Amino acid sequence: MAKILAVDDSASMRGMVAFTLRNAGHDVSEAENGQLALDAAKGSSFDLVLADVNMPVMDGLSMVRELRTMPAYKGVPILMLTTESHTDKKMEGKAAGATGWLVKPFDPEQLLATVKRVLG
Amino acid sequence: MGKTTGEAKAKARVIALPADFRLGSVADVKAELIEAFDAAAQLDGAGVERVDTAALQLLVAFRREAAARGQSPTWLGVSEVMRDAAGVLGLAQALELPAPMPA
Amino acid sequence: MSKAGLAQFQQVFIEESLEGLDTMESSLLALDEGGDGELVHTIFRAAHSIKGGAATFGFPEMSSFTHEAESLLDEVRSGKRAIDGSIIELLLRTVDCLRGMFARAQVGEPLNDTVAEGLRNELAAAMGRGTPAAAVQARRDVDQADAWTVRFRPHAGMLASGNEPLRLIRELAGLGKLQVTPEFDKLPAFAALEPTECHIGWTIELTGPVKRADIKGVFDWVEDECDLVIEAKHVVAEVAAAPAAPVAAPAAPAAVADAGAARAQRETSAESSSVRVSIDKIDGLINLVGELVITQSMLDTFREGDIDAARLAVLEQGLAQLARHTRELQESVMGIRMLPIASVFNRFPRMVRDISQKLGKQVKLELIGEQTELDKTVLEKIGDPMVHLVRNAIDHGLETPDKRRAAGKGDTGTLTLKASHRGGNIVVEVSDDGAGLNRDAIVAKAIQRGIISSSEGMSDDAVAELIFQPGFSTAAVTTDLSGRGVGMDVVRRNVSDLGGTVAIRSTQGNGSVFTITLPLTLAIIDGLTAAVGEERYIVPLVSIVESVQLKADAVRSVVGGGELFRFRGEYLPVIRLHDAFACEGAVHAIDEGLMVVVEGDGSRVGLFVDGLIGQQQAVVKSLEANYRRVQGVSGATILADGSVALIVDIAGLVRMQGRRKAA
Repeated sequence: MAKILAVDDSASMRGMVAFTLRNAGHDVSEAENGQLALDAAKGSSFDLVLADVNMPVMDGLSMVRELRTMPAYKGVPILMLTTESHTDKKMEGKAAGATGWLVKPFDPEQLLATVKRVLG
Repeated sequence: MGKTTGEAKAKARVIALPADFRLGSVADVKAELIEAFDAAAQLDGAGVERVDTAALQLLVAFRREAAARGQSPTWLGVSEVMRDAAGVLGLAQALELPAPMPA
Repeated sequence: MSKAGLAQFQQVFIEESLEGLDTMESSLLALDEGGDGELVHTIFRAAHSIKGGAATFGFPEMSSFTHEAESLLDEVRSGKRAIDGSIIELLLRTVDCLRGMFARAQVGEPLNDTVAEGLRNELAAAMGRGTPAAAVQARRDVDQADAWTVRFRPHAGMLASGNEPLRLIRELAGLGKLQVTPEFDKLPAFAALEPTECHIGWTIELTGPVKRADIKGVFDWVEDECDLVIEAKHVVAEVAAAPAAPVAAPAAPAAVADAGAARAQRETSAESSSVRVSIDKIDGLINLVGELVITQSMLDTFREGDIDAARLAVLEQGLAQLARHTRELQESVMGIRMLPIASVFNRFPRMVRDISQKLGKQVKLELIGEQTELDKTVLEKIGDPMVHLVRNAIDHGLETPDKRRAAGKGDTGTLTLKASHRGGNIVVEVSDDGAGLNRDAIVAKAIQRGIISSSEGMSDDAVAELIFQPGFSTAAVTTDLSGRGVGMDVVRRNVSDLGGTVAIRSTQGNGSVFTITLPLTLAIIDGLTAAVGEERYIVPLVSIVESVQLKADAVRSVVGGGELFRFRGEYLPVIRLHDAFACEGAVHAIDEGLMVVVEGDGSRVGLFVDGLIGQQQAVVKSLEANYRRVQGVSGATILADGSVALIVDIAGLVRMQGRRKAA
């Protein structure tokens, strides 16, 4: 079981991610945008952050940059949930400090496999 | 967090590695290890619950430095988690991990 | 993992996507009027979310469709393409098309239609491609070997991105047997070591029948963060250069199967609808329930012991509190169904733009009071009458720029939609600064249609009322906008079915104001309880004009049945409730009962009852749902003593009376 933060402005996507991970026994917190995710991250220590890229208030890339400045989140895996299959878009996320990505659409099995992969 | 025991230089210095021995704590452990070159250091990894490449790399560098100084730090304990990680990364030999205790 | 558990998010997805489409539309319209670049991001985000969710929740057709629109938007966003009218037009049509797809998704119909196909090609063409490209699939290495050497040297910063060699090598171990040899040649001396960087490299011998692509797959996130060499030691069999097509294929069958399953679930959930409630409202409710519990436990102490004068005061206080909390709780619960009228208002910018362009008129739309809340049911039903009024205002009310100039007005006409609360009602005004009603034209048309024989003695208001008569149309040419066989009479009928009224105020040359007044909710009405024999009836307060006690001779029988009485210079028909509902033991003598003057369906009548008992709020229970539809009754409610009272449907009664007279 891991503590996971799911960040997405889409309630359906966030709900699906949280639901799937909770079913798999993880402790999942949710945030609607990058700013709220940062607030949540400050008050808790997550083992994994899953974040959408395009969000209002604070987008996923800015959130990753901010998270990486926090000592507690130096090596914590952060996966971008992206619809971009283009390499340069993925690299933008990597440049911001993300660990990797999960390309939408994904189904619950793919999500769990990726989470398992990154949590080891 | 590890605590050094005793001020006497001749005495062995025990360094207890933290339970969460990962990227977030390697800088602190490094600061502690630097002190340990003065004495015969004993590493206690029995309480390590989480470990990563950075942590094991730090220990490899530490042992190499110690060897260059003619010292050979000993292990007081090694947790299963540590032993497993070192095995995966092929670092067991470089770390001179003791053979596991027979059950 | 059950797919069923995910069905709940499908409905959420559809709802948020429809909201997203509204946002796209309003932003596109704002962009058309020269809005800033931030709008492009907003539009992009909305399209992006729909695309991302569509495939996940079982609508791959929508996903690929949105993909085209998103690519176009991305070019605009990144400055590769300037946005112009034609792109906005194209994207607006895309919004419409997606709405259609969601509507079909709700009822489980196939999502793609010819419109969608055509639009998809248009979008692709706008992107400078002939046909939409199939999703780009990474080219797969097909070479396979039974032993590999992997040289993996992370860059110093790799650990900071959360990519752990430990994890990567473990993953490799899942592919085959490993022999891992570390390389320390780059490892600095201890003092110089930056402990959060990675300075170790590895050479990994992997034994097992493994594809190159699988090894690469392990390192896909770190391609740019390490030096990686993958060498085959023993090549098993070089697969003949496979054509590209079959490689891309494997993704498809799974998607199709998912879509099938999703569709099956969709059918079961098509009927359900939901309301999104703000956390504030829920917190308010929880607070109230908390207070209610406190009051209840306070009242509980009266179960035991005698009640003396001092305790009686406390008891009274507690009961008063209970009454207040119950009322507040009722209001809060009703509040959950209350939604801002913005969702209805928001469809008008687009509509006004389309219609005015078609008619060559310049119209500025002003929306006021978009946050005014009303019951979801009323909200859903108020749209159509408003659409008609807005169409009418642009079609008949507002003039072309030429005519406006000739009348000394600016080229651009103003159409205003305004919502506000007034008492227990919501008032929606549709006003324009156009030509106003033309009295002569209306009179001429009304005479021609045989609605009136002459306008002599008719006030301007009375003439304006004529447009609500069935079959009335003043347009010189029947346009395809208003001329749909739906007249203002239907607007009035629809509104009055909701328990509301429509009024018009017009000044020739200066425009018209249509005012729709509706109850805030259909679930609770304010009414007067009337006694008729042993029965109790609720007369909706909104329809009551006045109640009067008449002398016995004030009511006259007329030839052919029926009774009339004089009220403020008018003769009004009398409806005896005891007659209409066959009540026994009721008062028959006019001077012993009460005449309640009510207005419904555009006319006034007198309801004769025994007397009025008092005013109360009635929670409307549907008769149709619990029993069957009853003429002249709109529902039932439970009175304080537990008995049932019927709620009088004034408009229905008036219609009943009319038929009886005709018979």
